[in-house]
Amino acid sequence: MHKFIRIDMTSLKADIGKVPEKYVGLGGRALTSNFVNYEVKPTCHPLGKNNKLIFAPGLLSGTNAPNSGRLSVGAKSPLTGGIKECNTGGSSSQMLAKMGIKAVIIEGMPKDNQFYVIKIGLNEVSIDKAPAEILGGCGNYEAIRLLGKKYGEHVGIAIAGPAGEYRLPSANISFKDPEGNIRSAGRGGLGAVMGSKKVKAIIIDETGADKVPIAKPEAFSAASKVFAKALMDHPVAGQGLAAYGTDVLVNIINEAGGLPANNFTSGRIKHNDNISGETMNATITERGGDGKVSHGCHRGCIIRCSQWYADKQGKYITSGFEYETIWGLGADAGIESLDDIAYIDRAMDDMGVDSIEVAVAVAVAMEGGLIPWGDGKAVLQLVKDMAKPTPLARIIAGGAGIVGQLCGLYRVPVVKNQAIPAYDPRAIKGIGLTYATTPMGADHTAGYCISGNILKIGANLDPLDKKGQIEYSRAMQIGTAAVDSTGMCLFVYFGIADNPGGYQALVDMINAQYGINLTSKDVDALGASVLKAERDFNKKAGFTNAHDRLPEFMEYEAIAPHNVVWDFSPEEIDEVMNF
Amino acid sequence: MQENGRIEIRGFLKLDSFIKKKFGTMPYFLEMDNSISGGDLAKLLGIEREDIEVIFVNGFVEGLDFMIKKGDRVAFLPPGCPGPYRIALGFYGKNQDNPANFKIQKKDAATDS
Repeated sequence: MHKFIRIDMTSLKADIGKVPEKYVGLGGRALTSNFVNYEVKPTCHPLGKNNKLIFAPGLLSGTNAPNSGRLSVGAKSPLTGGIKECNTGGSSSQMLAKMGIKAVIIEGMPKDNQFYVIKIGLNEVSIDKAPAEILGGCGNYEAIRLLGKKYGEHVGIAIAGPAGEYRLPSANISFKDPEGNIRSAGRGGLGAVMGSKKVKAIIIDETGADKVPIAKPEAFSAASKVFAKALMDHPVAGQGLAAYGTDVLVNIINEAGGLPANNFTSGRIKHNDNISGETMNATITERGGDGKVSHGCHRGCIIRCSQWYADKQGKYITSGFEYETIWGLGADAGIESLDDIAYIDRAMDDMGVDSIEVAVAVAVAMEGGLIPWGDGKAVLQLVKDMAKPTPLARIIAGGAGIVGQLCGLYRVPVVKNQAIPAYDPRAIKGIGLTYATTPMGADHTAGYCISGNILKIGANLDPLDKKGQIEYSRAMQIGTAAVDSTGMCLFVYFGIADNPGGYQALVDMINAQYGINLTSKDVDALGASVLKAERDFNKKAGFTNAHDRLPEFMEYEAIAPHNVVWDFSPEEIDEVMNF
Repeated sequence: MQENGRIEIRGFLKLDSFIKKKFGTMPYFLEMDNSISGGDLAKLLGIEREDIEVIFVNGFVEGLDFMIKKGDRVAFLPPGCPGPYRIALGFYGKNQDNPANFKIQKKDAATDS
């Protein structure tokens, strides 16, 4: 029997119950978004007692399906005011799934200012006062070490960093990875929701848990092998991500003229070689020591896009050193040293803030004169100051929107108050439609996967031409919502988009695990239903089509080198979600 | 685009270190009098055909048969670009006839397993 755990932080009591009928067939994003839509008051204050925070492993999490260890987290976002789902690697998703836990929900809030640690075991939940030494600015690295000492090195940990304690809008929820380092459910300020409920950390102890039951083990094993082969046969796995990480995109997007630079005033930089994935690979290799060019963020990851980046002495600085972080600090904020960016990335993980939101906020603050352009040392200090937090650190952690407002700027790259990531929508138009219309606020991962015929959708797509972009964005958002519900990492995209056998294998694994007979059309329908639930919530929260728009400056400020503006009409944008 | 007799050349992924090692600099500038196809330029530089999925010419994704003129900025991209940008940047309209395209080489093997 699957368990549905509700933890009421008002009464400090937990209930381990059966999964309500309406959630039985759901997992991951499908579960978190439907739950939020059903149970969270749309007009509630995101940091008030009526918001609810839900954690849900994907449909395939806990199995030996490759790359199935993502955990979805959902709530009403304090950054956007709309629904939020973000997902993360780490160990927690597989542990929860093996323990038979379909979801963990945190609701209510204590009346006092005491922070708590929730421990979830196989058959019990305890709520203890948080140790004082992990509160009041203690960084995540040290807090995870201390919690591991207290609860055991084997446990999974989800933690609200200092930014979450202070309920800052860019606060993320950090998750311990298999080596005790940090992965993040990054976007939308869910760490602030966790902080508002006075939950400092959740400990997951899978001791005694068995394997995830599989209805048809032989069929599952066969499908899993096909799926793994589809991933590993693809050059993205072996030649791209495993060698250069997601940072491989710096050179590519820069060459395409879509790398937003200097607060979105250009689409190309000259110092790309300083911060490229190729340079990162060479630097890690040359320095040796703790550095690794390839690393998996959860057990069963065979793509291994993460890495350990070490300093000149070979000492570990950071891992999961992602393209979007490096773009934000390196191109958008003009910090030219990869080492400086690595230290800031570590500090952001330590404080528990979204590295995209903060990097874009930093660039906006640079345009606003609050920080010198390209000053990596100043940015590092500011991020460290989030532990106190100083007034300026608090403002930067408020996100790009509020920084732009306080600086009196019109060039503020946000949608639904969430910072636009590393692909300029003027030069890569299909992604712009996704930024505009996703219920999440500007989010590149909202349009990352496709389930249909890729050639039908993308054969003649021109990044500067509007033709075909509406269909592209719609298909990508539906496909992504479906894959986000499986617990799969989005990087399985290439194994299922470029290989019909891979996509069928994904469906076959779900069928074999649960003893059901879904078709690929059913999985597509699941993705579409998730998007509809999310938009339904946002509508009830007060959002209209007028919120599905890119910032106006993109309509009249052309971006080099292609000198293009954003030119979709409101009617055209609204067609994306017309399905 | 530069109005001179040179082609500005870059390589990404494994071709980043290839060009840096072979030519000592990135970008590498090659003097050219005539137009040349992407495939012939790769051959001239000693880049294996199987190491190119698409090329960029002046910021646009093109196939290997695209004619490059002096003054153009060119980048060679091996198989391995991740993400939906493969679609969004137009790879799929340009890589279908390329023998290095994994879709032709690998799809059947995985499907038949």
